[in-house]
Amino acid sequence: MFLYNFKYELKLLIRNKWIQVLSVIIIINMLFAGYNGKQKVDKRNADIENITNKVSQEDQLMLLQLDSIKQGHTVNLSKWRVPTSPMAVGNYHPRVAAMQPHDMAFVAIGQSDLFTHYTRPKVVDNSLTIKHTEMTSPVQLLFGSFDLAFVVIYLLPLIIIAFTYNILSQEKESGSLRLLASQPLSIRNWVLQKVILRFFWLVLITILVLTVVFVINEFSFSENLGAFVSCIILVVAYMMFWFALAFAINLFGKSSAKNAMSLLGLWIVFVLLIPAIMGQLSSSFYPIPSRTKMLNEMRALKAETTKKQDKILDNFLRDHPEYASKDDQGKTSFWHRYMASQRIINDELSLLQDKYDGQLRKQHELIQQFQYTSPAIIVQQSLNAMAGTSSTNYEDYRNQVASFAQQWQDFFIPLLYKNKEFTKEQYADFPKFTYQSEAEVTITTKIAVLVLFTLLITMIGWGAFRLNAKKGLVILS
Amino acid sequence: MIGKIIRKESKEIIRDDRFKISLFIVVSLLIVAIFVSSNQYKNTNIQYEEAKTKERANWDSQGEKTPHSAAHYGTYAFKPKYPLSLIDQGVDKYTGVSVFLEAHKRNEAEYSAAADQTGLSRFGELTPDFVLLYIFPLIIILISYNTFTKEKEGGTIALLKSQGIRNWKLTLGKWIASLLPVVVLATILFGIAGILLSNLSDYGEFSWISLFALYSVFIVYYMVFTSITLLISSLAKKSGIALVISLTVWFLGCFAAPKIASNLADLKYPYPTRQEFTENVEYEKKKGLDGHNPWSEEAKLLEKKVLKEYGVDSLHQLPFNFSAYRMQKGEEHQAEIYKKHYEILKEQFKNQKGIYQSIAVISPFLPVRFLSMSIANTNYQTHWDFADAAENYRIDTQLYLNDNHAKNSKYQDWGYKANSDTWKNLPAFEYSPPILSDVLNDNTSIIIMLLFWLGISSGALFLSTKNL
Repeated sequence: MFLYNFKYELKLLIRNKWIQVLSVIIIINMLFAGYNGKQKVDKRNADIENITNKVSQEDQLMLLQLDSIKQGHTVNLSKWRVPTSPMAVGNYHPRVAAMQPHDMAFVAIGQSDLFTHYTRPKVVDNSLTIKHTEMTSPVQLLFGSFDLAFVVIYLLPLIIIAFTYNILSQEKESGSLRLLASQPLSIRNWVLQKVILRFFWLVLITILVLTVVFVINEFSFSENLGAFVSCIILVVAYMMFWFALAFAINLFGKSSAKNAMSLLGLWIVFVLLIPAIMGQLSSSFYPIPSRTKMLNEMRALKAETTKKQDKILDNFLRDHPEYASKDDQGKTSFWHRYMASQRIINDELSLLQDKYDGQLRKQHELIQQFQYTSPAIIVQQSLNAMAGTSSTNYEDYRNQVASFAQQWQDFFIPLLYKNKEFTKEQYADFPKFTYQSEAEVTITTKIAVLVLFTLLITMIGWGAFRLNAKKGLVILS
Repeated sequence: MIGKIIRKESKEIIRDDRFKISLFIVVSLLIVAIFVSSNQYKNTNIQYEEAKTKERANWDSQGEKTPHSAAHYGTYAFKPKYPLSLIDQGVDKYTGVSVFLEAHKRNEAEYSAAADQTGLSRFGELTPDFVLLYIFPLIIILISYNTFTKEKEGGTIALLKSQGIRNWKLTLGKWIASLLPVVVLATILFGIAGILLSNLSDYGEFSWISLFALYSVFIVYYMVFTSITLLISSLAKKSGIALVISLTVWFLGCFAAPKIASNLADLKYPYPTRQEFTENVEYEKKKGLDGHNPWSEEAKLLEKKVLKEYGVDSLHQLPFNFSAYRMQKGEEHQAEIYKKHYEILKEQFKNQKGIYQSIAVISPFLPVRFLSMSIANTNYQTHWDFADAAENYRIDTQLYLNDNHAKNSKYQDWGYKANSDTWKNLPAFEYSPPILSDVLNDNTSIIIMLLFWLGISSGALFLSTKNL
């Protein structure tokens, strides 16, 4: 009987127009989202490539200039840009510190529209002066991107709901449930079977389209099979959660319209309200330290140190590097003093900055705990982490850039203080920036929580069904 | 007759459990949203006032200093929050709040709230605009998706007809009844916001007229949604299908369309990266006059021109300090470059806006979104406006400082120190956002789009209900 019914259901499923429409919706949306992701990743790669090429051209020119100078020619450059001066090289020929996209960057735009993906720290730069926010139009930030994460988190549950809201109620409304009840089959198992059948159908389509999207994005399956598999597992676990909800709601045995309404209500709660409320709670309980306040403190500090610095430094020279060459002590003297006094200021300022950053980090860590209140947040956070576009990834990149800026400075400062000229040979020893992306993302806990959610809901549905069955409400009501 | 229909439908809605539950949820959400937003509004403005005063104190107490040193020390312009941001936060979260104003450089506004938050905040926050834009239309759908289908399913449509009611009266009655609950809620919300804001009048100028304009935009939005929902209900055969279609429209209009528009806008009219932008500016700056570089060709040309103008043959004979004069000319030249590049950026956004407006044809959400944040002064335009005002202030400051230097010292005298009162005499930065009539004038095409939606949706509804 079970097998018989199964065959019947499968035929029904495949012939159903409604299900065909929904399947096409999934396919179109996922492909479109995958295409959008590809656009963004391609642009990111192209930007990085452009700048890298440009810098290597400039480097060639600089090396040629060094050659001419060595041979005693004069070069057509402002005095303070001549590349024999270490500070000129450090300031006018900075390296590219680029954050290459992760293999799965196309999956979630995440925070990537907020931040830049490459920067060129100069020798006078430090963590305070390097800017990391991108010049995106805020309207675009407000609306967000139509990416795969959006389709999975927002749209997929809606499709699941449309797929399943009337499994039991339809039979009841058309009167066929009474017929079914006369067969030797438990209604609960029968609903379960229908849900599982739909689940597999949808999972199959989703995995297929996802694979296509991954192929379009030139994802290397051989190298990153693990990442692909965990992405699939995550999405399937999320789908399972929504199917469990649909199963439970169906077992409550209300009418189709009521089922649709309840499921949509739950969608609104999990996808819109809980994230919004959590966002609000986190900023109310653990407010982000005020940046204007930080700015005030920084300015006060800077004003104070500048006054101290006036005693050391000639006002004139500090703001006018080009005149430094007329100083009797030779042209390096300005930079000697400038770098020294900058360090004093920066040391004090970075203490303040660290305090703020620390506070921010604590807040972010606390927010991490909030994700377990809704599967939608869990999936969003995990997809961002897999795509390498989470706030943690960008914070990580900022830190790497800061330490690279330090390396860059450390490369030139000794030359400056020893009054050495920059030569062609030193070019090969330039520190290089390579972005180290974080180790693999583990999603075991997250999957476990999703499964826990699923089990809990299934049990609630079961309980409700037994209660209804006792009252004899399942078939009659 | 219309009155009777409204009364009957309203009674039904009020007695419905769905309505009671959603009313309870929405009201509690709104209370939280208003409470949180008004707190945030108060805090931000206290911080703003404090930052402004402290920064000005820093500037005033610089003591004796070379004016150009003061120009490099610079000052900050802070962006305040405007009263109606209590209702619509717009893009405020994504724009910087402070602009560093220094010599030679136009800086971008820094420290947007979004850059400090985690990905969680990208889901959206519990603010009044979230409820007004997303949740209220949903309530309309929830209470009226079956307005016509229930009559068809229950067979009461025949009974109604036998009463001799004209179809348009029936439709109008049902339309008003479906709209009423949300209008009542919105009225209460705007009323509370108005009272709160007029009591907080120490910050910014709150105007009831702007509030009313904002209120009207939302009411039109709800009218559009009511018409669409009723239209679907009149066309569908079953309640379930009507519900699913209405929700698809809602999802498409409020979630998918804005995202699709934003992707298309970025694809067709991309902004330069921050690095590209800076490098383009630097490249042009290098070619032109630089106040710090007396040896460049442009500097020599300027020298000649000024010598000729004053009929003297040495810079020392000029009645002012030529170094400072050159500094000012360099400053003006650089300001031009920035202006040019920011114009390109603005042009690019104008093109992007064109895309948003064409997508608005499939989404009534978009015109409302844009109009509402424009009226609340939390839109991108206001941010541009603020940034431009800050830039103008920066240019004026440079002129003031360089003039002071040029007038009070001789050529090549960089040791000159302006007295400590100089700083106080510089007027403070003041900025007031565009007024309502200007905002409305700027947005006529969007207003027309919204009214077009109202016309089309209600017209279609009354046409489709002609033969029930």
